[in-house]
Amino acid sequence: MSIQNLNTFDPFADAIKSSEDDVQDGLVHVRIQQRNGRKTLTTVQGLSSEYDLKKIVRACKKEFACNGTVVEHSEYGEVLQLQGDQRENICQWLTKSGLVKPEQLKVHGF
Amino acid sequence: MDDDMIFDPTLKKKKKKKTGFDMEAALAGEQGENTSKEVPADLGDVDVDIPEDDNLDLDNFGKKKKKKKKAFFNLEELESALPESKEEPAPEEPEPAEEEPVDDLDLDIDFSKSKKKKKKKNIDELVAEDEYKGEDKENVEDVHGDWVGSDRDYTYDELLERVFDIMREKNPSMVSGKKQKFIMRPPQVVRIGTKKTSFANFTEICKTLHRQPKHLLDFLLAELGTSGSVDGNAQLIIKGRFQQKQIENVLRRYIKEYVTCHTCRSPDTILQKDTRLFFLQCETCGSRCSVASIKSGFQAVTGKRAAIRAKTA
Repeated sequence: MSIQNLNTFDPFADAIKSSEDDVQDGLVHVRIQQRNGRKTLTTVQGLSSEYDLKKIVRACKKEFACNGTVVEHSEYGEVLQLQGDQRENICQWLTKSGLVKPEQLKVHGF
Repeated sequence: MDDDMIFDPTLKKKKKKKTGFDMEAALAGEQGENTSKEVPADLGDVDVDIPEDDNLDLDNFGKKKKKKKKAFFNLEELESALPESKEEPAPEEPEPAEEEPVDDLDLDIDFSKSKKKKKKKNIDELVAEDEYKGEDKENVEDVHGDWVGSDRDYTYDELLERVFDIMREKNPSMVSGKKQKFIMRPPQVVRIGTKKTSFANFTEICKTLHRQPKHLLDFLLAELGTSGSVDGNAQLIIKGRFQQKQIENVLRRYIKEYVTCHTCRSPDTILQKDTRLFFLQCETCGSRCSVASIKSGFQAVTGKRAAIRAKTA
């Protein structure tokens, strides 16, 4: 005896989850930007807001021996900024720590 | 005498090959049907088939002869039809009207070039095959020695095996799976001063990829995270220092996402815009799928903040 109407199924579960998952498909974009000279900047956009980005950046700064910061953006939420070309490092670190699945990572730039 | 027996058939076959060429020439004149009906009784039929196979091996392989001929016409029609289909998206774009005919002409030229190349290659192959064939036939006849002297009818299985053996020898790529190489000229990247980079053959590459320069430009700038524009000499000026291999890398990613078909990987595709989404329509397999929109995403402040503040204020 199971009456379907009385099941405790939340029809909005999917909707809530997808809104928590930042932007589309939960992709994490890793980009590089050139600064003056041979200096570069690495940005990580799309990390889930469940994580404490400040703690992440603190760990990354220590691990990669670079400076970094968290920037608040109206459209893209909190974005990680690291000095230098840390694309390889950040990708390895994010997957190793289990924060992001490898297929979610999208690396941009040359 | 045996040697003569071996050599005679090859000579005959060579003559037959010439008839094969005539048939190809006659294909345009639609006389091929008659000659093809006469030939199949002979052993030479198998050999005559092969040059045609080489002409057509890219697209239809393993179909029967008459079908091949029809397919041949279709191919020609397709190729002639292709530029037209490419023209269709062109008028939609907000390009000035003067440029469009130029683009179309270039497209045509590209096609004719590729056709010529194909034909040249085929001729070379055929010439090479003429030499090969003598040896091949001897080999084959060594294996199937019972074919040489006798007038008996050949069984279907024997002939089939023979055809496939020859085809595999001639087209090693077919055995390992189809591999169509997509040949492109490398991007010419030159530094201008210390802060800017010029991508000299940008429009040329757009033409070979059959994509709008604007689309490729958007992608390049979004990926590289800089700004840039096309100058009067049709070259792209990008802000920042970039090397050729870096641009190549980005181009390769562009081709993978926006040029090659996601299903069959053929580069023969059209990019259409439909209700704010870009769709990639394949001309070879007919598949149609949406591709990711180009977004530059988050851009950090790299310039001098004081300068930005002065501009906005």
